[in-house]
Amino acid sequence: MTAEPIELIATQPATLDSIDRALDGGFTAQRLDAWESDHILLDTFDRLLRSEGWTLAHQYGRLALSDRRMIIPVASGPPSGSPSGPLFGRDLPAGDLRQRVADAIDVRALLPLGRLHIRTEAYRITDDLQKTVVRVNVLVPQLISRGGSATPLSTRLRIQEVRGYQDERDEVIAALSPALGLGDADQTLPDEAILACGERPEGFSTKVAVPLDAGDPTGIAVSRVMRALLEVIEANLPGTLADTDSEFLHDYRVSIRRTRAVQRQFKHVFDPEELKRARAEFKWLQQSTGDARDLDVYVLGFDAMRELLPEEIRPDLEPVLTVLGRRRMVAHSAMGRALRSERARETFEAWERILGVLDHGPDADRPYSRRPIGEYTSRRIRKVYRRMLDMGRAIDAESPPEEFHDLRKKGKELRYLLELFGQPLHDSSVVKPMIKTLKSLQDVLGHHQDREVQIAMLRSLADEVAVLPGGARALMAMGMLTCRLEEDAADTRGRFGKVFEEFAAKDQRRLVKDTFS
Amino acid sequence: MNARVLATYNIKGGVGKTSAAVNLAYLAARDGHPTLLWDLDPQGASTFLFRIRPRLKGGARELVALRSRVGELIKGTDHERLELLPADFSLRHLDLDLDAFKRPALRLAKVIEPMRAEYDFIFLDCAPSISLVSESVFEAADALLVPIIPAALSSRTFEQLEDLAGRSQDGLGGRDGAQVLAFFSMVEVGRPMHRNEMARLRGAHHLTMLGAGVPDSEDVERMGEERDPVGAFAPASPAAMAYEALWLDIQRRLRTTRR
Repeated sequence: MTAEPIELIATQPATLDSIDRALDGGFTAQRLDAWESDHILLDTFDRLLRSEGWTLAHQYGRLALSDRRMIIPVASGPPSGSPSGPLFGRDLPAGDLRQRVADAIDVRALLPLGRLHIRTEAYRITDDLQKTVVRVNVLVPQLISRGGSATPLSTRLRIQEVRGYQDERDEVIAALSPALGLGDADQTLPDEAILACGERPEGFSTKVAVPLDAGDPTGIAVSRVMRALLEVIEANLPGTLADTDSEFLHDYRVSIRRTRAVQRQFKHVFDPEELKRARAEFKWLQQSTGDARDLDVYVLGFDAMRELLPEEIRPDLEPVLTVLGRRRMVAHSAMGRALRSERARETFEAWERILGVLDHGPDADRPYSRRPIGEYTSRRIRKVYRRMLDMGRAIDAESPPEEFHDLRKKGKELRYLLELFGQPLHDSSVVKPMIKTLKSLQDVLGHHQDREVQIAMLRSLADEVAVLPGGARALMAMGMLTCRLEEDAADTRGRFGKVFEEFAAKDQRRLVKDTFS
Repeated sequence: MNARVLATYNIKGGVGKTSAAVNLAYLAARDGHPTLLWDLDPQGASTFLFRIRPRLKGGARELVALRSRVGELIKGTDHERLELLPADFSLRHLDLDLDAFKRPALRLAKVIEPMRAEYDFIFLDCAPSISLVSESVFEAADALLVPIIPAALSSRTFEQLEDLAGRSQDGLGGRDGAQVLAFFSMVEVGRPMHRNEMARLRGAHHLTMLGAGVPDSEDVERMGEERDPVGAFAPASPAAMAYEALWLDIQRRLRTTRR
C-alpha cells in the first residue's frame, strides 16, 4: 500500500526554479498543474469533529469531510447551499457524510470558523530514467477575513511517495530541506487557520482541569478554579444569547452551578458578607436561565417522550409542541434580558473583585484561606459523601420526589468536588471509579427528576393546549402520557435501592475514608 | 476488492502481448480501478515501457517462495492507481522455481491471492512459451487475452491455445478454467489476407473472438520511444481508440460469475 503523504512547512518560496535548483541534477522537477480553491472550515464550538480526527469544509457548493490535515478524503456530500449560519446534523444532505457528522456532533451546531483560499501547484519529481519517483504538491494558503483581506499562512509541501520509491523520496526531501527551509508541520493547516482567526483550534470545552498541588493555599487554588469556570461562562454567553445551539446555555448553566457548589463548599475562604451577595446573585443567574433550559430539554426530548405512547396516538401531541415552542421563545427572551442586564454585568464585575481578594487580599478574617487545599478538599469530600449516605438511607420507594431531588443536588456537589479538586489532587485510579459509581446513581436520580418535571410540565400546559385546534385529542394523549411517565418514575424509584447500595457499599465507604483522610 | 486476473498470452512472440497488457492496464487505472501489471517476461518489456528498473530483489525464486513479501517489490508507475511488479532476468528460471513446489501449477495463483484484495484488476504479461509458467498462468487467470495476427498460421495457434486452456481447467484446481478472449492484433486493414482471415475466425470462433482489433500502427511502435502507453501520449490516435474499444469489449465479455 502507498504511504500517506508527508506534510512539511517551507519557509522559503517553493517554485519550479527553486525546487529544480535544490535537486541539483540528481532528480528533475516538472510542474504538472496549478489550481486555486476556497474552503469554509466548519466545526462545533467544542470541535467535536476535530476530536474525531476530521476536518469539515464547504468547498464549491459541497461539504467535504477529510482527515484532520485536509489530505485524505473521508466522505463528501451532494451539493448544498453555502452555510450562512449554523448548520445542524439534520440540515445536512442525507448520505454517508451526514451519518458520520450528525453522529459526532449530536445536538451541537456547525459554525463557520474561517475561510481558506489555497493555491496548489502539483509537481512530479523524476529520476535519471525520467520516471516519476515522488509527487509534490505545494500549497500556498491564505486566510480570508469577512472583509476580504488575505493573511498569508505557512507554505506547505505535501510529499507523496510513489510506491516502491521510498529511498528516492527521502533523497528528495534531504535535497529540498536546506534550500526551501523545510521543517515539520507542528500544526495542521486548519489549526493554523483557526489560530490566525484568533480562535482556539481545540475549541472550548466545559471540562475544567486546573492543575493543583495539595500544598497550595486553599484561597489561591479556589480562585484558580473559579477563574477557569468564569472563562467557560463568558465563552458560552454569546452562543447562549444568540441561541446558536442548546449546549451553550447548558454549558453556561453547568459552570454557574459548579461555581455555586464551590462557593458553598469553600465558604470559609471568602469574606462572609461579599460571599452572601455573590451567592444570591449567582442563584439569580441560575434561576434566570432555568425556564429556558427546561424548555430546551422538553423540546429536545419530545420525540423520545412521545415514543412512550402507541404509534397511532403520537401525532395527537402536536399541539403540545406548538405550545412548548411558544413558551420556549418567551423564556429565551426573558433570559436574554436578564443576562444582558446591568445586574448581570455587575455580578461578574463583583465576582472578579472577590477572586482578586482571594489572590492578593488580606486574609486575617478568612482563616481557612491559607490552609492547604489537599486537606480542605478531603474534608469536604468526606463530609458531602457522608451527608449523601444519610440522605439516601432515609429514602425508600414511597419517599416524596423532593427527597430524591435533594439527594441528586447533593450528588452534583460531590461530583463537582471530585472533578474540580479530587482528580487533580488524588489518585485518579480511585477518583475515576468513584465518579463512575456516583454517575450511575445520578443517572437514576436524574431520570426520576426528568419524569417528575415532565409530568408537571404537561399539567402546566393543559389550559393552553386545550384551546388549540386538536386540543381535545392532545389532552387525551397528554393524560395517557402522564400515566406512562408516572409508571416510569415509579420504576425508577424501584431501581434506586440497588444503585444506592453500590454507592454506599462498605468497600466504597472505606475507600472514601482512606483516600480522603 | 477482489481483483480479476487477466493474462495477455500467446504461444508466439511479437504479436502485441506487451502492448496490450500495458495499454489495457493503463485504461483500467484511468477508469478509477486500482490496477497491477505483473511483468512475467524475463525480457521485461512492460517494465521498460514504464521506465522502471528491471530488478527483482531476491530474484524470481524468492518472489514465488515468500509470497507475503511480494508487496515490497511492487513499484508505482507515473500513472495514478497503476502499479507494476517488475521483471528481471531471473524470471528465465521461473519454470524451475515453480517446479520446486508440491503443486507447481497452482503456485502462481497462490502468490497472486493476497494481492487480489488490493486491486480491481491484475494483468499478467506473459512470455511466449508453452511451459509450466503458462500452465500456472492458466490456473491463476480469470481470463486469457490472446492477441492474434490475422495471418495464415494464427488459427492453428488459436486452436492449440484453446486446447491448452481447456486441459488446464479439466486437470488442476477444480475450477472453471480461464475464460479465453481473443482479439486481432497488428491488423493491416489494407491487406485482403488480413480481412479474409478476420472474417473467417470471427465466424468460426464468435464466442471467444472479440470485435475490436488493434491496428498495426506507428503509434504502437512509438511506445518504445515515449515509454508510455499510447493512450497517454497519443490519446486520439487510431491505436489508442482501438485499445479503448478493446477494453470496453473485454469488460462486457468478462464472465459475471467470479471464482
